[in-house]
Amino acid sequence: MRKTRILFFLVMVSLVLAPLAAAAQQTGAPPTVKDKAQIEAAVSAQAAPTQQAKPAPALTRDVNTRLSTAEADPQAKPGAPAAAPPAAKKPAAKKVEIKRTEPIVPAYSGIREKMAVIVFYVWLWFAIAVMIYFLRLWIKEADRVYKAKYYEPEESPRKDNPMAPVLGD
Amino acid sequence: MRIDNAYFTRRKFLNSILGGWLGAVAASFISPIVKFVWPPYKEPDEVKLVFADYSAMQPGEVKNFVWGSKPGLIKRAQDGSFIAWVGVCTHLDCNVTWLPAKKQFFCACHDGWYDENGTNVSGPPPKPLRRLEPSVEGEDLFIRKPGVGAKT
Amino acid sequence: MKIDMKKFAAWFDDRLALTPIFKYMTKKEVPQHEHSFWYYTGSSILLFLFIQIVTGIMLALYYKPTLEGATDSIGRIMTELPLGWLVRSVHSWSSTFMIALVMIHLLAIWFTKSYRKPREATWMTGMMLLVVSMVFGFTGYLLPWDDLSLSATKVGTNIPMAIPVVGKWVTQFLRGGDDVTGDTLTRFFLFHVCILPLVIFAILVVHILLVQKEGMSVPLKDEIAKKKVPALPFWPNFILREVVIWLVLLGILLTISLMFAPSLELTADLMAPAPEGVKPEWYFLFLFQTLKIFPANMGPVTGEFVAVVLILIAVVAIFFLPFIDNKPEGKKGKIIAYLGVAGVIYAIVFSIWSLL
Repeated sequence: MRKTRILFFLVMVSLVLAPLAAAAQQTGAPPTVKDKAQIEAAVSAQAAPTQQAKPAPALTRDVNTRLSTAEADPQAKPGAPAAAPPAAKKPAAKKVEIKRTEPIVPAYSGIREKMAVIVFYVWLWFAIAVMIYFLRLWIKEADRVYKAKYYEPEESPRKDNPMAPVLGD
Repeated sequence: MRIDNAYFTRRKFLNSILGGWLGAVAASFISPIVKFVWPPYKEPDEVKLVFADYSAMQPGEVKNFVWGSKPGLIKRAQDGSFIAWVGVCTHLDCNVTWLPAKKQFFCACHDGWYDENGTNVSGPPPKPLRRLEPSVEGEDLFIRKPGVGAKT
Repeated sequence: MKIDMKKFAAWFDDRLALTPIFKYMTKKEVPQHEHSFWYYTGSSILLFLFIQIVTGIMLALYYKPTLEGATDSIGRIMTELPLGWLVRSVHSWSSTFMIALVMIHLLAIWFTKSYRKPREATWMTGMMLLVVSMVFGFTGYLLPWDDLSLSATKVGTNIPMAIPVVGKWVTQFLRGGDDVTGDTLTRFFLFHVCILPLVIFAILVVHILLVQKEGMSVPLKDEIAKKKVPALPFWPNFILREVVIWLVLLGILLTISLMFAPSLELTADLMAPAPEGVKPEWYFLFLFQTLKIFPANMGPVTGEFVAVVLILIAVVAIFFLPFIDNKPEGKKGKIIAYLGVAGVIYAIVFSIWSLL
């Protein structure tokens, strides 16, 4: 019996997870990032040769960290042209004041992201519906057991610990 | 598979299906949380420096640069080429410093010493400093992880 | 090696004495009647509180409560971290859901008069929880430190000034000075992530213990008629039904969060003129509008003072409602029920009015 249970468990896990993982892969893309492009533009604009007199690493640290972290975007495919242009990485761009000039508005750009969200919705509600279906069966069973007075406190099947929850087996 | 107790089999079946489904949905909720809490920040594959900043270095001179969120060390060898390291002690991750008078790298945390080639010579460090691969390309000085070729 | 779970459980039970809790869980019963549905609101609030805690901790991992870093750190959460925008969206929407459910919970108890003896203390702790939840929302609104949140906080922290003598102290305490500055932000963050969670947990424990102590209330007419109301066991029959509700709410929350993720305005400038369309969170709108309709001066005092005092009297009256409504089955009880309807209509009308 144990083996069948584990098998069922694994089948259900993979059934739910596989399409969800695929959907999440796509919905996981961040919303339109006007911000990042602007930082890059600001940094490369500031990286004029005249400002390269003192490449003190301590000062450049945060700008570089920002850029290198921005580059480590999980969604960026390796080798995709979406990577930051190399010009943006000049260490000479010292402590640039990065000012946002536009609000960040999350939005789904492109048909791919829009479809992914719809797929995710369908899957989400399907997963919930299936869970509710099984929960209803479970509730019916619990109510039946209660009405049949199957577990009277004096006659609990759990002789080891009569107070323990008597759900399941 | 032998059905030995018909009454409980149905229940076990339901419970395992529901449990599996619940577990899967819970996992799908938890995985983005895990991804968020452990963000995939990796160290860079390459860093681009301006060669003009480093071209005036004397042989034997060591300068710093920024390698992701770690310090990098770049040294001009006697033949004019560059050698670069990640300036982090291989013992317990402290930043090392170059002592020009002694011609050695020093880690103050646990008194670790590396010679001018980055080899651990004394103290607790188990390995030499991690080497990076500098390459001068036109006006740029690229520092790359070993094994990462130039991007075309 | 096979681990004997029974022995393992018995070991824990010997040390922690969990048996009484399990015994209670299996014995606890939930009455079934035409108003039973409102019992589910309480646990749903807990669901959203749990989501708030999880997403709040996640956001706090990357949020920087400083004048310079606040907005940028949220921008970073939204654009650089995996699904960060969704985490923020869920935190924001879940707060809305939680406050809405707190209000529904309160109204349900108001109209079923479940606060009557012996549950007065449960009602009072519940009111405290409502106030703490709203303070949570108020402090959280400032944290993005964009134009709108700054102005809303300026207005909100200025309101106590209307009260003579003490008001100025209250405002200075809230702001950490005479004006809203970076210190206010740090202070609000501390309240939001440290002090208020401790307070809400302390009150919540008392609230839930009181609910367990007195059991679930039954409708007034059944209590008067001494009718035996049918009941369901809490475990597992009732809790399974709760899980169904939780799943649906979770689905709605995710659907809305994905569809309407909050945006991030520009960093607040302390010197800039207030932007247009400054408004607080929706659950403060009717109070906001109430303050607006009072004239600047009413005789010897300012209109704001009158408004603030009236609001305070109303809050205190609601807090002590079980004592005011001491004969719920009589005429007074009916009047108080109608007052509740009037209050809901007032809140809805004023909220809509403030948006016009």
